[in-house]
Amino acid sequence: MTFDVTPSITLVILAAVLVAVGIHLMLERSLTRIVIGLVIASNGVNVLFLVAGGRAGSPPLNEGGSVADMADPLPQAMVLTAIVITLGMSAFLLAMAYRSWQLNGHDEVQDDLEDRRIVRRAARDVIARRVRDDSGATLAEDARVTRDETATDLGAVP
Amino acid sequence: MTWLVPLPVVVPLFAAGLAVVLGRRPRLQRWIATLALLTSLAVAIALIIAVDDGPIVVNVGGWVAPVGIALVIDRLSALMLAVSVAVTLAVLVYSGAQGVADKREGAPVAVYYPTFLVLSAGVSNAFISGDLFNLYVGFEILLAASFVLITLGGTRDRIRAGTIYVVVSLMSSLIFLTAIALIYAATGTVNIAQLGIRLVELDPGLQLVLHLMLLIAFGIKAAVFPLSAWLPDSYPTAPAPVTAVFSGLLTKVGVYAIIRTEVLLFPGGRLDTALLVVALVTMVVGILGAVAQDDVKRMLSFTLLSHIGFMVWGVALSSVTGLSAAVFYVVHHITAQTALFLVAGLIEHLGGTTSLTRLGSLARLAPGLALLYLLAAMNLGGIPPMTGFLGKVGLLQASAEAGTPLAWTLVAGGLVTSLLTLYAVTKAWNMAFWQEAESRRPARPMPASMVGATSGLVAMSLALAVGAGPLVDYTDRAARDLRLRTPYLEAVLPEGQYPTDVYEEAWGSVDGQG
Amino acid sequence: MLQLLILHALAALAAPALVGWLGRRAFLVLALVPGSAAGWAVAQTGAALSGEPPSQSFLWVGGLGMHLTFRLDALSWLMTLIVGGIGALVLVYSAAYFAKGASALGRFAAVFVAFAGAMLGLVTTDNTLALYMFWELTTIFSYLLIGHYHERQASRRAASQAIMVTTLGGLAMLAGLVLLGSAAGGTTSLSLLVERAAAGELGAGDPGLLLPAAIVLILLGAVSKSALLPFHFWLPAAMAAPTPVSAYLHAAAMVKAGVYLVARLAPGFGQEGTWRAMVLALGLGTLLLGGYRALRQHDLKLLLAFGTVSQLGMMIAMVGYGSRAVALAGLAMIAAHALFKASLFLVVGIIDWSVGTRDMRELSGLGRSMPVVAAAATLATASMMGLPPLAGYVAKEAALEALAHDGDWLVLAILAVGSTLTVAYGLRFLAGAFATKEGVVASSPRYQSRLIALPPVVLALAGLAVGVVPAAVETALAPHAALYPGDAGHLVLWGGFGVPLAVTLAVLLGGYAMFRARGPIERAQAAVVPVPSADRVYRRSLVVLENLAADVTAVTQRGSLPAYLSIILAVTVVTAGGAAVLEGTLPASVRTADWWGQVAIAVFIAITALLAARSRRRLKAVLLLGASGYGMALLFAAHGAPDLALTQVMVETITLVILVLVLRRLPTYFSNRPLGGDRYLRMGLGIASGLAVGVMGMVAVAGRTATPVSEYLPDATYTYGYGRNIVNVLLVDTRAWDTMGEISVILVAATGVASLLFLRDRTGIVDPARNRRRSEREGVVWDDGGPDLAARMRQSPAGGAPQWLRAPARGQQWLRGGTTLAPRRRSVIFEIGTRLVFHTMIMLSLYLLFAGHNQPGGGFAGGLVAGTALMVRYLAGGRYELGEALPLQAGHLLGGGLVVATGAALIPLAFGGQALQTAVFELVLPVWGDVKIATALLFDVGVYVLVLGLVLDVLRSLGAEIDRHGEIEGVSDEEVAAS
Repeated sequence: MTFDVTPSITLVILAAVLVAVGIHLMLERSLTRIVIGLVIASNGVNVLFLVAGGRAGSPPLNEGGSVADMADPLPQAMVLTAIVITLGMSAFLLAMAYRSWQLNGHDEVQDDLEDRRIVRRAARDVIARRVRDDSGATLAEDARVTRDETATDLGAVP
Repeated sequence: MTWLVPLPVVVPLFAAGLAVVLGRRPRLQRWIATLALLTSLAVAIALIIAVDDGPIVVNVGGWVAPVGIALVIDRLSALMLAVSVAVTLAVLVYSGAQGVADKREGAPVAVYYPTFLVLSAGVSNAFISGDLFNLYVGFEILLAASFVLITLGGTRDRIRAGTIYVVVSLMSSLIFLTAIALIYAATGTVNIAQLGIRLVELDPGLQLVLHLMLLIAFGIKAAVFPLSAWLPDSYPTAPAPVTAVFSGLLTKVGVYAIIRTEVLLFPGGRLDTALLVVALVTMVVGILGAVAQDDVKRMLSFTLLSHIGFMVWGVALSSVTGLSAAVFYVVHHITAQTALFLVAGLIEHLGGTTSLTRLGSLARLAPGLALLYLLAAMNLGGIPPMTGFLGKVGLLQASAEAGTPLAWTLVAGGLVTSLLTLYAVTKAWNMAFWQEAESRRPARPMPASMVGATSGLVAMSLALAVGAGPLVDYTDRAARDLRLRTPYLEAVLPEGQYPTDVYEEAWGSVDGQG
Repeated sequence: MLQLLILHALAALAAPALVGWLGRRAFLVLALVPGSAAGWAVAQTGAALSGEPPSQSFLWVGGLGMHLTFRLDALSWLMTLIVGGIGALVLVYSAAYFAKGASALGRFAAVFVAFAGAMLGLVTTDNTLALYMFWELTTIFSYLLIGHYHERQASRRAASQAIMVTTLGGLAMLAGLVLLGSAAGGTTSLSLLVERAAAGELGAGDPGLLLPAAIVLILLGAVSKSALLPFHFWLPAAMAAPTPVSAYLHAAAMVKAGVYLVARLAPGFGQEGTWRAMVLALGLGTLLLGGYRALRQHDLKLLLAFGTVSQLGMMIAMVGYGSRAVALAGLAMIAAHALFKASLFLVVGIIDWSVGTRDMRELSGLGRSMPVVAAAATLATASMMGLPPLAGYVAKEAALEALAHDGDWLVLAILAVGSTLTVAYGLRFLAGAFATKEGVVASSPRYQSRLIALPPVVLALAGLAVGVVPAAVETALAPHAALYPGDAGHLVLWGGFGVPLAVTLAVLLGGYAMFRARGPIERAQAAVVPVPSADRVYRRSLVVLENLAADVTAVTQRGSLPAYLSIILAVTVVTAGGAAVLEGTLPASVRTADWWGQVAIAVFIAITALLAARSRRRLKAVLLLGASGYGMALLFAAHGAPDLALTQVMVETITLVILVLVLRRLPTYFSNRPLGGDRYLRMGLGIASGLAVGVMGMVAVAGRTATPVSEYLPDATYTYGYGRNIVNVLLVDTRAWDTMGEISVILVAATGVASLLFLRDRTGIVDPARNRRRSEREGVVWDDGGPDLAARMRQSPAGGAPQWLRAPARGQQWLRGGTTLAPRRRSVIFEIGTRLVFHTMIMLSLYLLFAGHNQPGGGFAGGLVAGTALMVRYLAGGRYELGEALPLQAGHLLGGGLVVATGAALIPLAFGGQALQTAVFELVLPVWGDVKIATALLFDVGVYVLVLGLVLDVLRSLGAEIDRHGEIEGVSDEEVAAS
């Protein structure tokens, strides 16, 4: 089996390009593009696995022949798993894209509303009344209105 | 005992298969799910006891590590396994009644239980896996399941929130996968134990690269600042039980992975200082986020974020006491945070909303719920004698032991965080339970199973406090062995890196190897 | 002692039920609980005051040094008496004080008793962490008690304020305690700490800063709990609590916790400079401030509250002073204060209860109408002012004596001034409450009750009792005072002529004078501009906190996905990429390519990918993506990875079809949004990430030291895996565990897709009938509104049309589903082709499945091929054809597949093998003869079925279901979604 991991510069560059393109797409807001980006980027990573596996070789089949120039099968197994997982994930992401198109008429990722609200609040520096829960009354004022639920049913003075 | 190890993964998956086949029989599905998780729980508890005298290793399919995939259970993973399964079970019972599975949520019943089971299997797999690539697979299992759960019902909000969650998670998987490719390129193996031996032999520069890649991949899952912003945007919109189980488990899987990385793969502790700083910022920024929220679920999501900092703090102290405290804190936080989210679910069920500005007068309407919230919230706020306090004390003592200025800064940060946590939860209490609601709405009766599951979880966290003595001793032992590394390495690779025979005795083969 | 705590806990749990049953009388029963604590303390007096106090120890969390150890020494004995005795009296009082129908009495009783228990633990435990535990518990319970009337904003605010302030101090204290625990010679045992500190063994060899830091932190706790400067403001606000609570928590018990802690530690730390400075400055400062503020209150409760603040300051100063004699006086003062202040609060409660107000401006002539209460109040006030022969007098006198003896004139002077203020507001209280004022209508007490008057009277008389037998008190308090350095002091009624007596007289006269001049003083106080009060500072800081939180969150939480991804990528590129560039070592040698073709293929893949990224049309992008994907397959094939190539082709095909199926409904063009620098940022990040990956890859391979584990594989996989195709053996045997996980991912993804698409179908599983044709009239698929010849043929001109005119019956058509297609979409050639190719493909897929173990192929490839076959049927015949092709539920395939696969994992366990372990069976079949079957095949079959299920599921949801959505007339997608 070939353990020669002298990198093929072609594959390295290919991996880099695919990752670059994929990431660029994943930074988009359109879910379709994100899916495409995901697939391309994972292709890039898969190429990286080829690099990790070492030089190209003969298929890893035990036909009794020599295994001298057989390609490293382990990365192949891992890539195969990764490919199938990516298939599942991208299928689901697509379903989400379709759903979001159904709901919003487009497949663009929206910003989080609550966060936006807080950003606005931070800009205005206002605090909700219920949050502060403080009328700013002084001790004396509070004391005047504060009375306990005391007994009224004990022996009243005649 | 070895035959027990695969069960927490295989049994739920098997049950998930059955549940999908029985798509039309929700009640039956529910029974299958409960049964499967009960089995996992029993197994996990048995394993906790079993591994106290040394890690248990299973060579799946008889293929001896490092050739095959090894499942490794040491004290840490056994503890994680048991707590996570217990919590999952509680949430399952809870969700039996809660909306997730029923019409109101518009969710397809058929999907909920199988997916939930697969989630549990994925989490368990992540905890017991002794193989880096298999850890990746475990992550993918739980991620795929979480994708489905977080978009359950496919409402507008959930799709929006889900998209953020899904894409960020996929990005982290991509980074993790890249890291694996790099690691294989550098070491020619993905067996964690063997990596523990080989990585340290690499050139330090390369080590740093691989170390960082793993930490980033896991940091996103664990929601460590600044990789954490996705969490509060995605978790709160999911159905309460889903949020609960996510908050309890998913981030902790990340923390668990970080622990393994720091202790087993890169024991040098080269990034400890950086991690300490990260922990500090995570705690403070997170809790400020919680203070800023006026929605119960969002507030809780931010406390979740913030308290991840506590665990990273313990890990980054790179001492036995620190690690022990971190592990204890993980156990505490899984139960406490999940319980709180379940309570939040009850609040939502009762008050019809999670917005603190609209909730109110719950103390009068539901005293029992008030008690549950108070207990869970005080636990999170680190009020003694509950586990939150014990975990905190452990961290404080570990930092005092370290005694460096940075460690003391973290002590200060940690205390400020606990104070602000208390502020946030009491503020929520004040608004939801004490203040009068602005608009009256008829209180819906709370299903017994929901209340029961929540109370059970709260009771569990209290029980953990009562039994904290043995638990702390256990985590101490766990931490000691983790730091030693040798118990793990020798258990997985008894003959060292290069075993003479890579296959265990085959079974049932009619005439040997034919 | 633990037993007592448990008793309290149980009583607290039972309280609500008890109140529900007995009503207010339950308070009388509950009074026994704290009462029992006091009784127990009395019983233990001898032992407690002896050399070795009774103690108890239970191991709890040994790992953290947290034990439940209790120790009833003289100080604890004193505090237990106060906590238990006054607790009992206040509960008795509550039985009469509260109305029958008062709200939430059960909760009140429960929390009150629980508090008493926590307080008992606090004053008796000998473990620092346990101390902190009880400390925090009292905080929580007081939070709930202050907020008892939570409908009132005042109560809520006071409660939150109290918990925040005291917890702030508490956490500081915790840090201090941990610090002491970690110091050289440190421990979590209070008594040991004090001993070692006194002996100077504590923190020896540690940096000099350690001990002072610990002291400051711990004192912060004490100071905040006992409402000293600058935290004093929470206590008056806490008067929003019901009066019994004020009497117990905020006069007798909880606020004494700080005093207790100081008294507990002073013998060890009293000599430290930091300690003395902080204790004296804050203590005496508070003494003056409290008295000053008390002089202008009109609400009797508030007046007492500020008085309490002032007295707490004095007590802390005395017990923290660090000299034996002063400490003795301080301890006596603790007792005295508990008695008179509790009594006074209860008196105010009675007035409030009976007259309906606490405002001294509205009260008049109560002295006559409530003689008993008035007498008790006078007695208590006298004790507070320090008139002989009362407890207060004895204590204060002893303090003056001791200070004069030490010649500490400054402290003595401040103490005198403070006492003067005390006298002044004491008189003010008496006059305000009971005097007959002209111009004020005599207020008439509406109610009277012996029960309610009893507790204050008892307390007042106790104050007298303590005063008349100072010697006895001295013997009780001396043991703790003896721990302090310095000469012993004494408690006496008559200390002879000397400085103390003179001072006392001056104090009394001065106080009286100030009382006479109260009018001008009030006006003066009103006149002076008040310095920003601590209360306002607190409120302000809350606002600042809220705003800060919002600002920080606004920065970190943008809510935008691209932003989050960018941060993640930036971190990755900068840290990992940066490390690779700076510290990594590139490989010594590289090769251009493994073989020339590789370059060509790579260029093709790269270019197609780039074009896919650039295209603005969805479909075009997708097709280019497919092209690039097939390129990948080529690359794999050429790299010596046939299985990979095969799978890649299949996966790519399916992905392509799925994409097309979905995109046909989405807009043709990507929405064109104006992108400025934003776009270049994304490009930049992409390129940076690419470069990072490239460099890291090079660095990684350059670092390879050991041979990969794969070296074992060629032999092992054949010997033990019984297969020639190493990759397949890896997938279904060696690393089958991965595959099991992977197929569960597939299962979940498939069901998830369905769940999103079939929202109207609750089961989420495709109903086969849905895609089976029900009648000839069933909806027409893929109709674009063109003329429908088939439909016209079906219409009978007149009456029933002859059979042969109808659409062809079963058996007379190539694809049954075909007839449901819009005629213009039908292609007979395609249908015939499909008909012919379908079964061939199924056969091929089965071959791949079985051959997989030795030739390229396997479950995945097989399943995918079968799936593709289905896809062809669907494309040719429409969705009804799909139902015909495979009248199975996708769910059954998916689930069944997983069941089989996991079953294959479980079976070996039953035979003592490992999960997923393979065995080989040789059997003789009639036709084949001798065949060898690896059980791994079973697993592979599961995979095959599941993958088939995936494709079917996806086709039915993303294909068929989307068709249906398109066909639903008049129903907008909105409603489809909503339903």
